[in-house]
Amino acid sequence: MPHQEALTIIAPVAEEREAELAEVMRALAANPAQNDVLAFGALPGCHFGRVLHLPASRDLSGQKIGPQLMLLSDCDGSAQKHLKQLVDVAGPGLDRLFGSCIDYPRQPSPANRVAFLQKRVQRVKAVYVHRQGRTVEQIRREAELRDALVSFVAERHFDGLSATAIREQIIAHVRTTAPLRWALDPAPGIDASYRIRNALDALALPLGLVALGPVVVPAALLLLLLVRLQEQTDVMQHGRPSPELVRTLTELEDFAAHNGFTAGGYVKPGWVRRAAVASLLPLIGWGSRHLFTRDSLAGVKSIHFARWVPMDDGRRVVFCSNYDGSLESYNNDFIDLVAWGLNLIFSNGLGYPSTRWLVFGGARYEQEFKNFLRRHQIPTPVWYSAYPHLSARNIERNAALRAGLRGHMTEQGAQAWLSLL
Amino acid sequence: MAIAAVDAFARLARKVDSLMRGLPLHTPAVEAEDVQGIVLRGYGSLPYAAYPLLRFSDRKGARAWLERFLTRIAPGRPHDANAQAEALQLAFTPAGLLALGLTHDELQGFSSEFLSGIFGPHRSRFLGDVDESAPEQWRWGGPQNTEAHALLMVFAKTQARLSELQAELRQSYVAHSVSEVHVLETAELSRTEHFGFVDGISQPAIDGYHQSDSRLHKIKPGEFLLGYPNEYGLYTERPLLDGTRDTRGTLPLDAQGSSRRDFGRNGTYLVVRQLRQNVPLFRETLDRLTRRPDGSSDEEAQAYLAAQMVGRWPSGASLLEAPYGDDVSKARSNEFRYQALDPVGARCPIGSHVRRANPRDALPPHAGTEYSLEVNRHHRLIRRGRTYGQPLPHGQSDQADRGLMFVAINGNISRQFEFIQHSWLNDPRFNGLHGQADPIASASNDNQFAPSPKPVSAYCTGLPRFVTVAGGGYFFMPGIRALRFLSELSS
Repeated sequence: MPHQEALTIIAPVAEEREAELAEVMRALAANPAQNDVLAFGALPGCHFGRVLHLPASRDLSGQKIGPQLMLLSDCDGSAQKHLKQLVDVAGPGLDRLFGSCIDYPRQPSPANRVAFLQKRVQRVKAVYVHRQGRTVEQIRREAELRDALVSFVAERHFDGLSATAIREQIIAHVRTTAPLRWALDPAPGIDASYRIRNALDALALPLGLVALGPVVVPAALLLLLLVRLQEQTDVMQHGRPSPELVRTLTELEDFAAHNGFTAGGYVKPGWVRRAAVASLLPLIGWGSRHLFTRDSLAGVKSIHFARWVPMDDGRRVVFCSNYDGSLESYNNDFIDLVAWGLNLIFSNGLGYPSTRWLVFGGARYEQEFKNFLRRHQIPTPVWYSAYPHLSARNIERNAALRAGLRGHMTEQGAQAWLSLL
Repeated sequence: MAIAAVDAFARLARKVDSLMRGLPLHTPAVEAEDVQGIVLRGYGSLPYAAYPLLRFSDRKGARAWLERFLTRIAPGRPHDANAQAEALQLAFTPAGLLALGLTHDELQGFSSEFLSGIFGPHRSRFLGDVDESAPEQWRWGGPQNTEAHALLMVFAKTQARLSELQAELRQSYVAHSVSEVHVLETAELSRTEHFGFVDGISQPAIDGYHQSDSRLHKIKPGEFLLGYPNEYGLYTERPLLDGTRDTRGTLPLDAQGSSRRDFGRNGTYLVVRQLRQNVPLFRETLDRLTRRPDGSSDEEAQAYLAAQMVGRWPSGASLLEAPYGDDVSKARSNEFRYQALDPVGARCPIGSHVRRANPRDALPPHAGTEYSLEVNRHHRLIRRGRTYGQPLPHGQSDQADRGLMFVAINGNISRQFEFIQHSWLNDPRFNGLHGQADPIASASNDNQFAPSPKPVSAYCTGLPRFVTVAGGGYFFMPGIRALRFLSELSS
């Protein structure tokens, strides 16, 4: 079974054609799953997708950054393959979407569309996946399995039966129902080739630390000291987001089980902060791949996918995630569970609540943090989810339900398993 | 192991955070003499109450009216329940504060939920105030209703005294160009709400005022009063005014040391919602879902299902401690935790009303631990609701209007009331559930409920909406000094 990858495409937009792009974006926003520009719902193995139109901006030194178009998706299998499927599925729709981008081919063909997009793929190192190897297909089928089992149980009377006996009946039902029989097989594991690469990747960090420790450790400590010095002069910003921005954002929120979150901001001026971001993003990526691999990003269990995208030569960072529930509850999870982790990276962003030693403070300043996130949030009307009715907890429970169709269980274990229904 | 190390580090970081904050080690005592009494007590000795919504049409008149009644707004101290025959409490909408003379800029110090109000496209969807609960159909507080400036709460020992007070107040309105927009009536105080359950059992104990050692219920004053440290060890955002606005020095100084005057100190936000309860529909539904195979009604099964939906028995006893039948001796027991005794809801369903409204230790990050309790303490409410309308005797049916005049007190509307309403009550995926919104209070008209698994859950489906919203508002209830300041304003 394939692992999951993140595709990130960033293309500069010709300024005189932004109105045209805005028009296409509106068509896309009306129904990101099904439309004639880019139907995310028709892309095989696409978990989440979004398209962003970032307007022109000026960086902290006043230098202009032109408008950009971003396409992001989380997919089963390699992002490279996914890109080709994108061109296959959307074809001419992509011409409309990317047509306003600089250097888009005048006479588009499948080959030069792929070439155009490939050239604009951004390698993103910091990517979080709730559970590596769980495909869209698996998630959807296991949800169907649950529905089928709930219906089965509702039609039966199990008076006086033990939990293990009921479980046996359920298993027998699955075995004798052809459309459900697949569920008796264990969920396929991730491809061996990925597992080998991943194991090597896991070793790379500790080995690298051992080999280069005498250089890297002092350098990291020095960097931390420099950051600490700069923190002394950071000024806490209390400003609220404008009511207009809040209205625009909230009107897009809380329709499905989850929301798409996009926020972007400038990295604080100076090489120290940029160096901090450049060295921390790969670390976060490594942690996501090797530590936070089982349904939890350092304690936060409500994120399906997330990524940190460095942009414009490291001057900006855009953070995207797909999280369950409301922004208020997402914020609270951040503050209560993983404030230190957010501080680590976001405190290098301009306007973030004051931190100490990179990890303390910061997000723990509840109101300033909530205001910071809202102020930096980017409205994302073009956002797609392949399973908008399922929370991450739902998905885990469905997977546990299927796993429990196999093997021996004690009465207690069977009781717990039945409570998943 | 690496994960455990990360966890340990996170714990350390939270410790260091609270140490670095440099807050006083002891929670400051609540200035009860400056807090309006309703925050600290429910006035159980004053069984009659009505809440007129007022509108000011003249600034001078409004201030004079406020000045006239200022000494009658009951503070939290001194308090003598035996001697007290009445109590007045007063809260404002943003429009009311503007009418009295706060400026638009000064208003920006209040929470944005208070400023933007209880309805709006997103907020109404968020709170479940849609369809028959849509604000457009409200009797008060909605876009079609006259905007109120103030909520007056009138409590009295006898019905006669309440009528007298209301007559006196009405006379005073005339002289001060104050008009009564609407009156929220309540029934004679009863601990039992219309579905038949004792209500209002679980209340937080305010650290710095109430005596309590409860890890569950003892909550920092800043969660309910502005100007005090909250559960994060921080001061909730509040309106701080320029010193020049307060030449008499009526308002307290900002406790955080900014040298500004704290208009918010000892004040709090009130969430008031008129929740109409469809008692006949509730009883019919229970009956429909529990019929015996021969089609006859099963009253015992109805009582059990109702208790499962509520999470408590009519007396208030928790299903956790009395899983098989009501037990009056457990009625006041409120220190229970869910995780150790009942991780999968075999006694008290995961989706039951009280287990959602206050999940105690049952939610992540680590159910059953202090860590989960700590997170839970960020989402508590003081509830001061009273019923309205007449109880419906068993076996009878009518179309009468009855329900709960819900009043919640909190310092952060977004993190407390709105979060509980959306993420705990209305979210059908609460705590890993599938398609189950709150069985009692949800906004869904086609809801499901899974009673305790025995050992499988027999889902109740097609649950209608038993509770609809007929009015609502967010109000700011200032401290006594802030009320005086408003009456003294001259510009």
